[in-house]
Amino acid sequence: MICGSPKGKNSASWVILQGLRDALPPQAAVREYAIRTAPLPEQALRGIAACDVLVFAMPLYVDGLPSHMVGALLQLEADFRETPQKERTAYALVNSGFYEGHQNAHALHMLRHWCRRAGVRWGQGIGAGGGGMLPETQNIPMGHGPKKRLGQALQTLAEAIVSGGQAEDLYITQNFPRVLYRMSAESVWRRKGRKNGLSKQELFAAPGEGPTA
Amino acid sequence: MRENHRFLVIQDVEQAEPVRELESPFAGTVFSDNGTIRPCTGCFGCWIKTPGRCVLPDPYRDMGAYLANSGELVLVSRCCFGGPGPFVKNVLDRCISYVHPYFVIKNGEMHHRQRYHHSYGLTVVFYGGATPEEQRTAQEWVQAMAVNLYGRVNEVRFVEQPPDWRDLLRTLL
Repeated sequence: MICGSPKGKNSASWVILQGLRDALPPQAAVREYAIRTAPLPEQALRGIAACDVLVFAMPLYVDGLPSHMVGALLQLEADFRETPQKERTAYALVNSGFYEGHQNAHALHMLRHWCRRAGVRWGQGIGAGGGGMLPETQNIPMGHGPKKRLGQALQTLAEAIVSGGQAEDLYITQNFPRVLYRMSAESVWRRKGRKNGLSKQELFAAPGEGPTA
Repeated sequence: MRENHRFLVIQDVEQAEPVRELESPFAGTVFSDNGTIRPCTGCFGCWIKTPGRCVLPDPYRDMGAYLANSGELVLVSRCCFGGPGPFVKNVLDRCISYVHPYFVIKNGEMHHRQRYHHSYGLTVVFYGGATPEEQRTAQEWVQAMAVNLYGRVNEVRFVEQPPDWRDLLRTLL
């Protein structure tokens, strides 16, 4: 399992991976890697290359893959091309703060294309919206309440992984009304701004009528 | 001449100092890679600590302001599996200060609210032998990015060899 969030264990990607781990059989041999920057250290590169199944989880950054993951994937692609005889299957989970899961589609397509170049078989992708609420709702079990659909998707993914199968990509929204999600998110931004001594109006600052650097 | 001819060029063809003013006949700024750019850490400091400005102290911290002062964003990037290469994507990831953390609904989808009352044209040149499927993804990605970062797509071009970005700018004048 490869967490591609620069926030590591404080990220929605990590929460999702833990949900997947809980859905896998206990006897599954799982290695966990957190990629926060590129290039990958040699030890991580060797460890990932030795795995038969790769499960990537990462946030959506500007409609695509986070830049450090692009660098890490290029590195893995070059390494995998040296061992084309090894069979690998990749599964991927991309989440974003937007409500709609389908906004993660371009990132999943990029991961599919990477698979073709790296000689890796594509298993399944899941695009999850509402990622911002996951670190805030860790007390709610996966598969329940607002995380019902995500839990079901992770169960489907776990079954595909165990069988080594391929399945259609899934795009899910959380079980939470969009209008409430939007209001909650904006309330969180205001609260975080206040903690930094910023008023609601100050969050609207538009610095640099001319560039300042 | 484009309506606002001030260019913001982000390119990975040649290594150079991170920020340079363009020379006449061009106006604007070019961002290049000298190996020192730091990746976005997802801290959202540019929204909740120093609104509109990245908290990482390097030459790429004011990307929102640079974008807000440009009429045309020009991306020249290696195409990596249907998206931009690591450097160009890194600079774009550092551009989210250009938008506000609040949400709006556009075309039935959730997107970030505008911070600046501004938009810009967008020209993208990908090089490096993208497959037809990768080209389709790259086209779709540019369109999606333009929606989220309030740009207007003028052109997306695919070429085999790394282009001379100055020649490209001449075609845009």
